[in-house]
Amino acid sequence: MASALASNGLPAQLIDPVNQQSEKNGPPNVVLILADDLGFSDIASYGSEINTPSLSALAELGVSFTNYHTAANCAPARAMLLTGVDAHLAGVPNIPEMLAPEQQQTAHYQGVLGQNVVTVATLLEDAGYHTYMAGKWHLGTDAGLLPSERGFERTVALADSGADNWEQRPYIPIYQTAHWFADGEVYQLPDDFYSSRFLVDKTIEFIDSNAEDGRPFFAYLPFQAVHIPVQAPQKFIDPYMDVYAEGWTAIRQQRYQRAVALGVVPSGIDLVDMKTTGDWSALNGERQRYEAKRMAVYAGMVEAMDHHIGRLVRHLKAQGLFENTLFIFTSDNGAEASGPSDPDNFATQRQLSSLGYNSDYETLGLKGSYNSISPSFASAAVSPLADYKFYVGEGGMRVPMIVAGASLPRQGVLSDAFSFVTDITPTILSLTGVNAPGKRYAGRPIEPMIGKNLAPLLRGGVDRVYSEDDTVGYELAGNAALFQGDYKIVFNRRPLGDARWRLFNIKRDPGETRDLSNESPGRLQTMLSAYQRYTVDNKVLPIPPGYGHLKQLVLNAVQGRLREPLLVTLITLLILAPFYVYFRLRSR
Amino acid sequence: MNAALRLLVLLLGVLFLVMGLRWLLAPQGIAPDFGLALQSGVGLSSQIGDMAAFFLLLGICIFTALVTQRRFWYYPPMILLTLTALSRVLAWLMHDAALPMNLITPEIVVALVLWVASRHLSDRD
Repeated sequence: MASALASNGLPAQLIDPVNQQSEKNGPPNVVLILADDLGFSDIASYGSEINTPSLSALAELGVSFTNYHTAANCAPARAMLLTGVDAHLAGVPNIPEMLAPEQQQTAHYQGVLGQNVVTVATLLEDAGYHTYMAGKWHLGTDAGLLPSERGFERTVALADSGADNWEQRPYIPIYQTAHWFADGEVYQLPDDFYSSRFLVDKTIEFIDSNAEDGRPFFAYLPFQAVHIPVQAPQKFIDPYMDVYAEGWTAIRQQRYQRAVALGVVPSGIDLVDMKTTGDWSALNGERQRYEAKRMAVYAGMVEAMDHHIGRLVRHLKAQGLFENTLFIFTSDNGAEASGPSDPDNFATQRQLSSLGYNSDYETLGLKGSYNSISPSFASAAVSPLADYKFYVGEGGMRVPMIVAGASLPRQGVLSDAFSFVTDITPTILSLTGVNAPGKRYAGRPIEPMIGKNLAPLLRGGVDRVYSEDDTVGYELAGNAALFQGDYKIVFNRRPLGDARWRLFNIKRDPGETRDLSNESPGRLQTMLSAYQRYTVDNKVLPIPPGYGHLKQLVLNAVQGRLREPLLVTLITLLILAPFYVYFRLRSR
Repeated sequence: MNAALRLLVLLLGVLFLVMGLRWLLAPQGIAPDFGLALQSGVGLSSQIGDMAAFFLLLGICIFTALVTQRRFWYYPPMILLTLTALSRVLAWLMHDAALPMNLITPEIVVALVLWVASRHLSDRD
């Protein structure tokens, strides 16, 4: 397979391609950059106050998608991103840390990438590409599940849902350590580790290691930024120390206005006041100062990521590889809002100290510090959208997506065409001229891709790849959505949601403020029927009674970490209880 | 205080008796509350027999304790409920069962209420 590109010349798709350079230079390199928990308006070209010049430069070299959707949380998004298959069928309907025991009885509810899907890396590697990965994997830790066995030739991978950005330590008690692997072997991080710098360094190292052989490469760069713990070097934090003094509501409004000015969202839309957003004016000066710094660190982390992306771009230019490299930048899901509203409360402080962290103002974001943004600033990160990570409002699912390359025919344009995370793999395959497999690959049955090729949008001449009748369903732990044309139905469970199906026109009303379910009951019913078909087709399991994703996360954490001591204690109590009763009775 | 406690214990006794009777008379209505799907054949026999006996025993012991005012009649339901809660936790730890706090919490709370009742409502050991 490795010789397929060389011996056959260019694949047919590359002769007419989006990338006219391919005929001259051969198949393009692809750099797939994935931010973690980055909100819709967290980069400058989507309306952010955060300085992201490297991403803005990429946006000028291609198409920025303003109606791109992904999963509402991490691993399912990554599964769909890398396979083009719905997360349920790919074995990752949720992150394993949040799956209930009842769900885990079912083979496709393990939270790890199934062997019934094939990754874009495997397909590209088999077509002669070098395939590299540096960053967060979170699709399986055991043998056979690591990226080195899923098509990536060289890897340095974090297997967990997240980890510290400064050193090798876990960020939540569910893990005993941060599980890093390099080329399938347990890996010890270097002492001078900072996640974004390190991951780009490794990507450059991988690219350079094979630069001489002339084969194209696919580099997957899933950053830890800006997942909790939110941490950044001081020099990136400093410029933002005064930026957030007006509070989250002001930032949410300002981002909306910039997004309108940039053409990212239509003007005149309404913004939801999320019930989890606090009252900035009710905070005293000290708390406002602290909250502003929490967000300043977040901004610094975004800018640090951008800085290192810029370093990678400059390196590719220096090596003469830039002209024939395509970049895709996006986020796995919307902004994370799980940080505590009051970081000083007793439970938060106990949890942080149990992990060896502090949240002191002076060192916030630096080594040993644990920072997050609260739901309140998350509302600014997703501006002007509603909801955030884990919920199926636009804020949880709509994120930036940029496809860029010096040779793309359309440069610096916005597209409001609907697109979904499962489209990325088919698009990469199209851009590289590699055929997408059908229902079988390498002699075994696989789940066929459901995503659509976005290349026609990059080429221009069409304004959508999904027809008015196409539907895209989505489910995460009982939260559910279905897209059709400009419409979307949404079901968010309590407590953030109201456990009712709602209907929105997300093109005119991306803020999801005007529920059309009473105005258009027929459309609602049609889309509900389509959602029911989606659940059957994709083997979506009902959530167990009493399920709550955070409760399940805690239970799984306790079970994972304390199973043995709890077992010993309880069984000892059981054995000793009869003796206790016996001696009590004797003593009377 | 004791009158309120007596009333509470009485209500618990009635509740358990009703649950036992529901298992005997209309098990399909109560089985889902325990996350159970009714079996057939020997499985159904065991489900109804064991569950009905469990709740009827709880109710009978509680009523007997109230009538006789003998402390030891509180012990079987206390032990039974505590063991049930404990076994649920062990099932979670050992067999990856769910940890239904909506069932475990009442079991522990009721066991504690019965323990308090055994201290305050019993004249004789």
